[in-house]
Amino acid sequence: MELLRPSSLEELDGGLLLHGGTEVVPLLREGLLETERLVDVRGVVPRGVDGAVIGAGTTLAELEVEPAIPDALREACRLAASPQLRSMGSLGGNLLQATRCWYWRLGYDCRLHGGDRCHARDGEHREHAIFANEFCASAHPSDVAAALVALGARVRTNQRELAVEELYRLPDEGNRSTTTLESGELLLEIELPPAGASVYLKAMDRKRWAFPQVGVAVARHEDGSPRIALAGVAPIPWRIEGVDDLDAATPLPRTEWKVPLARALVRRALAALA
Amino acid sequence: MSALRLTVNGGEHVLDVPVGTSLAQILRDELGLTGTKIACNEGHCGACTVQIDGVPQLSCITLAHAVEGEVTTIEGLREHPLVEAFVRADAVQCGYCTPGQVVSAAALVAANPQPTREEIRHAMAGNICRCGTYPKIEEAILSWQG
Ligand SMILES: Cc1cc2nc3c(=O)[nH]c(=O)nc-3n(C[C@H](O)[C@H](O)[C@H](O)COP(=O)(O)OP(=O)(O)OC[C@H]3O[C@@H](n4cnc5c(N)ncnc54)[C@H](O)[C@@H]3O)c2cc1C
Ligand code: SF4
Ligand code: FES
Ligand code: FES
Repeated sequence: MELLRPSSLEELDGGLLLHGGTEVVPLLREGLLETERLVDVRGVVPRGVDGAVIGAGTTLAELEVEPAIPDALREACRLAASPQLRSMGSLGGNLLQATRCWYWRLGYDCRLHGGDRCHARDGEHREHAIFANEFCASAHPSDVAAALVALGARVRTNQRELAVEELYRLPDEGNRSTTTLESGELLLEIELPPAGASVYLKAMDRKRWAFPQVGVAVARHEDGSPRIALAGVAPIPWRIEGVDDLDAATPLPRTEWKVPLARALVRRALAALA
Repeated sequence: MSALRLTVNGGEHVLDVPVGTSLAQILRDELGLTGTKIACNEGHCGACTVQIDGVPQLSCITLAHAVEGEVTTIEGLREHPLVEAFVRADAVQCGYCTPGQVVSAAALVAANPQPTREEIRHAMAGNICRCGTYPKIEEAILSWQG
């Protein structure tokens, strides 16, 4: 294996991209990722906050103390992972993190790995999804993505500009990916539209340093309407219009507990912004 | 094999190791600095915490070839008053998590010499102690200046 460290976008030529490596290194070690060429993109991905634009290379630790960003994003960063991981992990890498589904992480030949079965649906799934869980029941683990979706953020890549929401897709028979990222596509910057107050609430199985059981981001937009996005409830960050949408959840037998939890957090978040 | 230059506890090292080797492996197996522990080896527990340019990071999931900056391990903090404070507060049981705890705590008190309990809990959350010495660790950090 070789490690390349390009200093300009023109030098990029295939390989597996690595920023902080908090996801990539464990997945390489487990054999869930394989490559002959690692590409350290820290030299080409912008880092830091400039007005409403955030470099995709900015670490979560930098964002958790950044006064100039909306509360929901700062709080999502502060509550994510552990201090060491927040110092190492980038915003871009966080948005592209893989599922924490234990079957997937243990290398089961499940649907997300290209197989024909969802082991979680038939097996252990207490941390899994309550929406869109028919094909793959994984629950999206990113606090930060939920916050950015609620805030209506956009992302600029080396190929296009799109809403953060459009970075994600539900996996299906024909395409098992949960993102719309093209090969060779690099996240460069996140842009935040003007927004009013925002909030992020997170339920964890302990008080600190855990993935979201359910995370709720709500941002009030210029026209006064709140936008709600949830972490930990679907294979991708999940938008709902209001608390009543939770009545349409399709929990698995052992994820039913997430529905009232999500309902309570959404109500609490809306009340906090009222 | 691929050449690697590392500064650890003020000393320079030039090594030739395969890309993919973690910083923790280098510290323990190549440099004999076995104070840095490996427990989970996947970023969950904090036993392998070292400082890179003063910032606590997880050496088990850091690629040695990607390190930018100076590494400080527990061996480089031997004289730090926190070590004595941990002993005074009896903040050690099996001791396996302790080097990582001290490395994280040293970065905390360097930035914030008199942290509150809440600040300690936030900054130390990435260092798991299976023996449950948390209250004593908190006591050690609160009283580190003696
Ligand atoms: C134990 C653990 C607990 C965690 N807990 C939480 C949590 O509670 N909440 C939460 O939200 N997150 C959590 N995380 C996720 C963590 O925040 C991410 O792992 C981290 O932010 C990823 O950033 P990185 O720079 O290390 O990414 P890397 O590991 O370097 O990369 C991750 C992925 O993104 C790709 N990539 C990286 N940068 C770019 C780019 N600029 N353009 C295109 N592709 C890119 C890589 O190819 C790879 O596929 C946790 C992670 C771990 C390991
Ligand atoms: S939930 Fe998704 S990732 Fe987990 S076993 Fe089912 S198909 Fe695989
Ligand atoms: S050994 Fe590195 S975090 Fe557990
Ligand atoms: S003292 Fe045993 S793990 Fe902390």
